[in-house]
Amino acid sequence: MLLRHEGFRCLCRARDLLSEVPEHPLSIEDVAREAQISPFHFIRQFEAVFGATPHQYRMQCRLDMAKRLLANGQHSVTEVCMEIGFASLGSFSGLFTRRVGETPSAFRRRVRAMVQVPGTVPAELTPGCLSLMSGLPLSAFPGSIRSFREA
Amino acid sequence: MRIKLTSIMVDDQEKALRFYTEVLGFEKKHDIPVGEYRWITVTSPEGRDDLELALEPNANPAGKVFQGAMFSQGIPIAAFEVTDIAGEFSRLTAKGVAFTRRPAQAGPVSIAVIADTCGNLIQLYQPM
Repeated sequence: MLLRHEGFRCLCRARDLLSEVPEHPLSIEDVAREAQISPFHFIRQFEAVFGATPHQYRMQCRLDMAKRLLANGQHSVTEVCMEIGFASLGSFSGLFTRRVGETPSAFRRRVRAMVQVPGTVPAELTPGCLSLMSGLPLSAFPGSIRSFREA
Repeated sequence: MRIKLTSIMVDDQEKALRFYTEVLGFEKKHDIPVGEYRWITVTSPEGRDDLELALEPNANPAGKVFQGAMFSQGIPIAAFEVTDIAGEFSRLTAKGVAFTRRPAQAGPVSIAVIADTCGNLIQLYQPM
């Protein structure tokens, strides 16, 4: 699939629209219209570029936002549910649990327990290469260990 | 001092591992659980197997902003060398990969740009 510059720009605009949580969310057809692409081609092109359908992408953005809000600890689970545009607490909790592997309240308790400075995001939510590497077993660096022993 | 490891931020590590191995053709070298994420590296079967690319989870909000902005501006985050860019264009197009730039001559190289489905644009180049 070859995207022209204008088509690529429209898909990026659609991605930005899907990551927002407006008071009245646009339907996928509305977003396709904003992107000036037919709904069929919009879904197909969006998935080829971003690796998820527009609906899947929107849900993932909302779950990421929910995780950030829960980690910051200033909102209840119900408030987070409303904040990310879910009308039903049951739907939100069910989706969150399926995707994250624990309930929103369990996630909130676990992550809040790691917070050392009020208002900051736990290190577990902001991994980088070095923080990931620090948790690796020595067997991940066979060459380095050999060199170390030889030294 | 050696360059042995570089990394690329991805929005979903499992999806990234599938794309970089099954679609691009790299090979998994490490896949080690680290907390709620994984330490995943891949190597190229066409290159040295001690040069690793880490597929790093992009959970940092600042990283997401950077990645999103680079993508929207059409700027590739990494570049991989290929020996037959026209062949790669055909092979990857058949696998459903989206190109934002078809192979074209640019000075001493021919370049193309693909979306990696994980939030990045990747440049492919063939020295001429």
